Amino acid sequence: MKIRRIFIANRGEIAVRIISTARKMNIETVVVRNATEPDALYVSLADIVFDNTEDPADIPVFLNIDRLIDIALETSCDAVHPGYGFLAENAYFAQKCIENNIVFIGPSPDAIYKMGNKTIARELAMKQGIPMAMGSQGNIGNEEEAAAMAKNIGYPVIIKAASGGGGRGMRIVRKPEEMEKMFLIASKEAEKAFNDPSVFIEKYIENPKHIEFQILGDTAGNIVHLGERECSIQRKHQKLLEEAPSSALDDDLRNLMGSMAVRIAAAVGYYSAGTVEFLLDSERNFYFMEMNTRIQVEHPVTEMITGIDLIEQQIRIARGETLAFGQKDVRIQGWSIECRINAEDVQAGFAPDPGKIEKLILPSDSFVRADTGVRSGSSIVSSYDSMIAKLIITGTDRKDAIRKCKLALDRVWIKGVKTTLPFFRMLVRNPKFIDGSFTTAFIEKDLDKYYLNSEYEEMLAAWLVTKLFEDENLIGKSPAADNGNNSDMSPWLLNKRINQF
Amino acid sequence: MNDEKPAIKKLHALSSENRRFTFTLPLRHKIRIGKRSYEVKLKSDEKYGTHILWKNRKYPVEIIRSRQNRYEILFNDISYIFTIETPFSLKRLKVLKQSTGKAETELIKAPMPGKIIDILVREGATVLRGEPLLILEAMKMQNEIHSPVNGHVTRIPAKGGTNVMKDDLLIEIKVE
Repeated sequence: MKIRRIFIANRGEIAVRIISTARKMNIETVVVRNATEPDALYVSLADIVFDNTEDPADIPVFLNIDRLIDIALETSCDAVHPGYGFLAENAYFAQKCIENNIVFIGPSPDAIYKMGNKTIARELAMKQGIPMAMGSQGNIGNEEEAAAMAKNIGYPVIIKAASGGGGRGMRIVRKPEEMEKMFLIASKEAEKAFNDPSVFIEKYIENPKHIEFQILGDTAGNIVHLGERECSIQRKHQKLLEEAPSSALDDDLRNLMGSMAVRIAAAVGYYSAGTVEFLLDSERNFYFMEMNTRIQVEHPVTEMITGIDLIEQQIRIARGETLAFGQKDVRIQGWSIECRINAEDVQAGFAPDPGKIEKLILPSDSFVRADTGVRSGSSIVSSYDSMIAKLIITGTDRKDAIRKCKLALDRVWIKGVKTTLPFFRMLVRNPKFIDGSFTTAFIEKDLDKYYLNSEYEEMLAAWLVTKLFEDENLIGKSPAADNGNNSDMSPWLLNKRINQF
Repeated sequence: MNDEKPAIKKLHALSSENRRFTFTLPLRHKIRIGKRSYEVKLKSDEKYGTHILWKNRKYPVEIIRSRQNRYEILFNDISYIFTIETPFSLKRLKVLKQSTGKAETELIKAPMPGKIIDILVREGATVLRGEPLLILEAMKMQNEIHSPVNGHVTRIPAKGGTNVMKDDLLIEIKVE
């Protein structure tokens, strides 16, 4: 199968990322130009731009299957790359591509469907003997039933409200003696909070780490794993920092978990790139969570330590090529960390802070790879995610990577929006992060401050406002000039305001 | 502020967390740390925009808001709120504080435009610092708004299901 021209059904940094590999492989790229961000970086980099700025549809084009297929056909593309998010894990979209003789750069619609359905995925994993966090199939009727179930699953267990959320109606039970009391409390709480006393039981995985395995499979049935990524630094299931490998794994555990990841992928005849997610507890037990049937945001850290271009592999596999290497050829070398620099206000609970990026300077050091979909003058628009750039730092080992990470973070220069930089500057100095003992609960439980600022920085900030006050009020050479009825606003602020529209 | 006598010798920058930084006037472009003093420069150029130069390092700065003597600025990607007080106004402030006691009200405002999904507290409820107060949806993400203080909820102008603008008042908490 020849692929001469790829339609990228996506935007932002992943579109830019796909364009760069396609170019390397002498494949043309087609992207969609939209009214929301007509001057986006990916638009200026693609070979062919389909102008969609006058799209009358109510839904965004990246979610509009019929429209995307039409564009792919109209621009004579022989393949579609879905990127991540949007329709990347939509089996129907993959199916539609195939029906229209367009190669879908990803797994089969069947694999997408099976892994996307949690019940089917769990059943598959169970059949393959993959460890999972066990749970009751349905609701638990009374405390005896609960005790029997918990005995079967093994303590600790967690009782959860069936209609619950937000932590209410949840009780962790560590010993059989506590079960009766906890069951009644949880049930009562659930009734009070949600008007529904029904609860169910699950194995409670205490302070787990999020460990995921990158796998690659071809259409001939060969599947390899490319080692793990640790993504425990997350907030409300939004990953903030990922690294590869993980300090929690040794070769034995890596081989074991990796072989399980390969096994579950094989069970659905998986080809293309995919990710098998596990939770790892402090006793080194691991539990299958789910499989993501697409390229992941954090794929670069795996690329950096294996030297394998995952987008290139996706394209080769889609062309029908078999993997040019086996499991034994996969070598993991060095340590790579990805920081997601997002337009978010860490001082306001990571609230998105959309706006125009007035200045953007990313480090050019050899140990930094910066994947971005924006440049100075671009806007982070509220209709899409808040990512500015992925800062991927690679060192010889974890210590070296963290040291270089500190340097890199201080060399990023962004003006116009608030970013997650202060969070990472704090994180790379946090003892628990440095010693690797952090878990997915780290941000919510172990931190009382989400950002780094030194005493000197606050003092310098104080000096600056004092200077402004002096200039405006005491010296009379006001930098605020005269803005008519806006005289309480500085011209800097006005610039920012204007740029946001 | 123009009616201030020009004989002010000092200015105090009071941070929102009540830390005080005092500078003598006219403001010098040097700051003393221990025995050494370091030069500090406010600069602006095409490549970096407005920034502060200190000990051979550039820090990005930006004014977010300024109103009378209250400034909100961004320094090295972190926001700070200061009020500038003269020796006279500082004294007045202290007197005022003593006469009204310590009870303060914390106003929880919307950090961004969005939709109120759920309000997790009721009027009169006691809340602890860090406790979620409400859920605000913006940019397809649900954001929990947490209490920055210990206290109790005195008023909830926010209504579930409604849209709010940035800086709309959501909840009032009496600080304890």
